[in-house]
Amino acid sequence: MNPETLDLARLQFALTAGGHFLFVALTLGLATVVACLQTAATFSSKPLYARMVRYWGQLYVINYAVGIVTGLVMEFQFGLSWSGLTHHAGDVFGSSLAMETVIAFFVESTFLGLWIFGWHRFSKRVHLALIWGVTLTAYASAYWILVANGFLNNPVGHREENGRLVLDNTVEVFTNPSALLAFGHVLGGALITAGFFLAGVSAYHLFKRTPEWEFFSKSLRIGVFLSLPALFVTATFGGLQFVGMQPMKEAVFSAKNAEIAKLQAEMVERFGPGDYVPSEALTRAAGILMLLAFALMMYLCVAGAVLAAFRKVVFRFRLWHVVLMAAVPLPYLAMISGWVFREAGRQPWVVYGLLKTEDAVSKVSPGQMRLSLIVFTSLFALLAALNFWLIVRHARRGPVETDLGLDEREADDPADALPAARY
Amino acid sequence: METLATALLGFFAAGYFVLGGADIGTGMLAPYLGRSDRERRLVIASFAPFFLGNEVWLVATAGLLIGCFPELEGELLSGQFAVFVPLLTGWIVRDTGLWLRGRAGGRGWRLACDTAVTGGSWTVALAWGWLLAGLFGGSLHEPASGPVAVITALAVAVLFALHGLGFAVLRLTGDPYARARVLIGRAARPWQSFALTAALMAALPLVAGLGLPLGESAGSSVGTLVPALLVVTPLLVAAQAWMWRTFRARVTRPSYL
Repeated sequence: MNPETLDLARLQFALTAGGHFLFVALTLGLATVVACLQTAATFSSKPLYARMVRYWGQLYVINYAVGIVTGLVMEFQFGLSWSGLTHHAGDVFGSSLAMETVIAFFVESTFLGLWIFGWHRFSKRVHLALIWGVTLTAYASAYWILVANGFLNNPVGHREENGRLVLDNTVEVFTNPSALLAFGHVLGGALITAGFFLAGVSAYHLFKRTPEWEFFSKSLRIGVFLSLPALFVTATFGGLQFVGMQPMKEAVFSAKNAEIAKLQAEMVERFGPGDYVPSEALTRAAGILMLLAFALMMYLCVAGAVLAAFRKVVFRFRLWHVVLMAAVPLPYLAMISGWVFREAGRQPWVVYGLLKTEDAVSKVSPGQMRLSLIVFTSLFALLAALNFWLIVRHARRGPVETDLGLDEREADDPADALPAARY
Repeated sequence: METLATALLGFFAAGYFVLGGADIGTGMLAPYLGRSDRERRLVIASFAPFFLGNEVWLVATAGLLIGCFPELEGELLSGQFAVFVPLLTGWIVRDTGLWLRGRAGGRGWRLACDTAVTGGSWTVALAWGWLLAGLFGGSLHEPASGPVAVITALAVAVLFALHGLGFAVLRLTGDPYARARVLIGRAARPWQSFALTAALMAALPLVAGLGLPLGESAGSSVGTLVPALLVVTPLLVAAQAWMWRTFRARVTRPSYL
């Protein structure tokens, strides 16, 4: 193991996984919102809902695209940078990744293509079924990824054979509490992200007094009324995770120095000499930041749910509009700090108690790892900037001339058309 | 079970090379097929509804590799690190260009996206050629080097482009169609060229796979995974067939991308 390669590989994983996670947070929540809106559009005769599907759907697709391309790096990164993990624990860890790609993502992508490009080719109900297919397989994706991650945090359902972990009890792996609780927590977090996003974008239009007041007052309410219950779900699943938490993470978070020393001594006795204390500053700061963001969001959600009940307030309370716009980054902050808390807090282990991070890194030269770190993080930074710019651009434009769901037959401009088909 | 796992891996890999290879090849030729902004948009529309559904064949291949052959996956990817970094980079750049091309106005923006699509497609095809050169030569832990590797990489990239050309002839209309048809030649029927390149593309990963120690490196998870995957695979193929059937008509106008 080359210590420089290890540091570079960890930095690359942290930045790329963190970046990907934030795109996914909005995608997962917004998919649910769009699917619900399209359900309303299908079963009611109000054209407003159909317009909402196209507008919020457009923002969803932009964000989804960036999420996908960043996800590609994630799938390959385990083999590229962490071949020790695939060597030692791949039998257990890899199977949920295989399920994710084949059973969930494959269907999700096929259906998303059909949904985007098949807008006017299917009956309303088939088209609705497609977006629900996309949403549910996106949930399934998140579940399988968290099964993989849950195994790293709380390895269950395996036994050791010739120094490698093999799958022993599939059901135990798939119902790992560390995976199920995180799944509920992340799903709730994704819905909060989408709720705050809807409310913030809508507040911008109401603040600017754009003509679409009906459209955006409805959207703002959906955002606010979604965020409140989602916040309670997230907090419940988050609280439950504190119960079964790794003792060292708990001790570091609570700054119990005596407990840390005791656990360190125990681990040295069990696993041999080494430093078994994760970065205290990072773990504690991330945990506190997550809880602070939660507290702030709770005040905003409770107050928001009251305010949103009054029509006049929704239209005219401009200070609230500003607060809602400013609050859009809050769920992202909570998500990323929660993730750092979970992942940094279990170091030095990659598979808790079984495989150290330093033993999992690939035998790649520091030069190569540095180059890939530079390439991927600059690409991700560029993608994040493009995503931000395009989302702001399309969000500000409002629900006019949305490209998504445009009927191509109507859009044909004869003067602009290509020469007649010949083949 | 090991045999079935190997067969599934081959199936998904061949699926990617045939389907994904078609849109990558068309992307490589986009500046030749489409001379104006609007024509290039039509070229992209020829594979727009499919490219996401095509590339998931590779995502599934990689998933199968890590699920059924985890140790080999780690050895292959870390051994071929220098090949996979440009492969992934090209893939990301290309997809970004495709997804975002239609989302902002301005000639400069669209030109940048077109460059990303073409450059990314070439990078992906050449990286595949480089990887295959290593696998054909039996070098799993080292990227291939030397003149044979260069020639293999170029030959594979040309095959990708020809495959894309055959696809373009079947999908396009108007001047972009005429340009593709000129290169294919009038003697052959359009589908014949595509069928030939499809067979060659499918053969690439299968031949490369022969050199991999797949049989002995299957993990303990295949017993659980393979039955589950075998059950869903027909459904996945059905969903894909539905997609191809839905968008089977030649393109005459730009689409969402």
